[in-house]
Amino acid sequence: MLSIKKLKVSIENNLILKGLNLEIKNGEVHAIMGPNGSGKSTLASVIAGNDNYKIESGSISFFGKNINNFSPDERAMMGIFLAFQYPVEIPGVSTINFIKTALNRIREFNKKKPLDAVGFLNTMKKKMNLVKIDRDLLSRSINEGFSGGEKKRNEIFQMAMLEPKLSILDETDSGLDIDALKIVSNGVNKLRTKDNSTIVVTHYQRLLDYIIPDYVHVLIDGKIVKSGNKDLALELENKGYDWL
Amino acid sequence: MFKSDSLTLDSKKIKDFINKESNPFLKKSRNNFLKKLGEKKFNIKEEYKYTPLKQSLEKKFSLEFKIDKNIPSNIEKKILPYIVNDNSVYQIITLDGKIIKKFSNIPSKISFKNFEELDKKEKKILHQYFGENDDSDSDVFSALNGVLWSKGLFIYIKKNQIVDNPIIINNFYTSERNIFSSQLRNFIFMEKNSKLSICELDCALASNNFNSNVTEIILEERSELDYFKIQNDKNNSTSFNSTNIKQKRNSISNTFTFSFSGDMIRNNLNISLIDESCYCNMYGIYALNDDSHVDNHTSVDHIQKNSISNEHYKGIMNGNSNGVFNGKIFVRKEAQKTNAFQSNNNIILSDNAKINTKPQLEIWADDVKCSHGCTTGQLDENAIFYLQSRGINKDKAVSILINAFFDEIIQKINQNIIKDKVHKILSSKIESYLNEH
Repeated sequence: MLSIKKLKVSIENNLILKGLNLEIKNGEVHAIMGPNGSGKSTLASVIAGNDNYKIESGSISFFGKNINNFSPDERAMMGIFLAFQYPVEIPGVSTINFIKTALNRIREFNKKKPLDAVGFLNTMKKKMNLVKIDRDLLSRSINEGFSGGEKKRNEIFQMAMLEPKLSILDETDSGLDIDALKIVSNGVNKLRTKDNSTIVVTHYQRLLDYIIPDYVHVLIDGKIVKSGNKDLALELENKGYDWL
Repeated sequence: MFKSDSLTLDSKKIKDFINKESNPFLKKSRNNFLKKLGEKKFNIKEEYKYTPLKQSLEKKFSLEFKIDKNIPSNIEKKILPYIVNDNSVYQIITLDGKIIKKFSNIPSKISFKNFEELDKKEKKILHQYFGENDDSDSDVFSALNGVLWSKGLFIYIKKNQIVDNPIIINNFYTSERNIFSSQLRNFIFMEKNSKLSICELDCALASNNFNSNVTEIILEERSELDYFKIQNDKNNSTSFNSTNIKQKRNSISNTFTFSFSGDMIRNNLNISLIDESCYCNMYGIYALNDDSHVDNHTSVDHIQKNSISNEHYKGIMNGNSNGVFNGKIFVRKEAQKTNAFQSNNNIILSDNAKINTKPQLEIWADDVKCSHGCTTGQLDENAIFYLQSRGINKDKAVSILINAFFDEIIQKINQNIIKDKVHKILSSKIESYLNEH
């Protein structure tokens, strides 16, 4: 599904990713762990197409297509979804209208008919249940005045609505208490199918108790220095990053 | 007689003009304004600090005193597209200030006339208040208008009268490059417990039109006025506007100033809360591109206690456009328990666009709540990326964000027909922004 080869990425002339390789197949969950400043969030943003970052060399391919020069919306329509570490507050734009616009753009791209109001509401009700998000919250402006937990739930709710092929969860666990963490993880797990894949970017092993990864990669100084199965996460939890 | 760094007028010709005024009261009034022009020291440098008068006036306009007599041909054809067939509004069409009755549907129960048509009672009201409530002591163009206005609109809402539908006034101007033809003076008098919504749209039928529009409004006890101004003139107009509202006890005014297009626009809005417990909302939107220049100067004067003023202006500038916002709040010594709020937010879309914004608070009372704030920035790149990451393309994202920026003001418009109109203009404005990028 996703194939990253020798990726070098910089921001304001600082090289952040220094030749990163990553292969993700259908249905897999990959965890990316690493200390602060190692490039985890950069990787998440670059896959989603944030043009603040400059790709110096290497390639990102999605289902065999090089997407280096694709805009964020083109990538989203192809099925890439980024759950933000810090979801943006956008006053004046209702969450429901926003999600409806987004969903219908993606459906149009996939040559599906746009959902009408009833169809949209029915889908919405089902998915709201999944992440236990309140209807009132969705009638408000995007993330405006949401608590940290509500923002993260809203991210997962959008993910549920848009049904991406590849979801990238960027530190979705940060700022969540244990109950919220369970709700969010439970949502992610229920959305798992044999076809769609997930990248979980996290500092801590804790989230991986709930979202069990098939692979764990350790990212240090812009490169993946070690890969393994879920036991690697536990080992990191005990020993820290220094032993690598 | 009258000299600024930008205008010098021939006093003899002006005196001849005044002598043609047949109403002795108005003749006297014109002479009073003329006296002001001669005697007052107008602080043009300060009041028009960011508005290049010299450039706007000298280059484009004839200072030769003449009143255009030649109304361009096929006027009707040009006006017709603006006429709405809608039972939920009263529409008034004016041509250089003259009400065109065959295109106007004036609500039968109210006085809505040109000055020369007033009956005895109406004249009495006009003579009692006219010319006393404008900003001609501080603004040279309002004083000039007081001398040279060519037509006046008189609107009188009687006690307990509720005007059910909004009145929409389309002002058409016909003169080209002439300072003396399109100077209007409006007078609105609302008696106790009356209610009115009024919307003025200016439209020049000739290019490089100069127009000036001074409005005096008096709100008696418990009356309520919504006053909208929509400026979307594509014909390079230069426009000086001054709206002056005097509010008595428990009256409410809601003013909306929307500026979308025009070469040079100056809007003075002065609200004077002369009694206790008045309430005024002042809202404004300016969305500019190309070389448009829009200057909003507002002031609210809290004279007695327990009044509330609330002001919110928002602007977006693109191209080489220029915005100016100057908001004065006065809270006099007697005006305890005043609540006064002001905010001005700006977004700049291009390297060459500019905004000058200045709050000015003068507070003499000690038990008041006042706040002001202004912001200037760009569209939030993170928000654009967020929307894009959900499949929304960049143009759509930008348009969503601009709409959202203005939404809190637009939601305050309590007349749907006006809300729709503003929405429509704004949408085409946003489209032009996207095409320019």
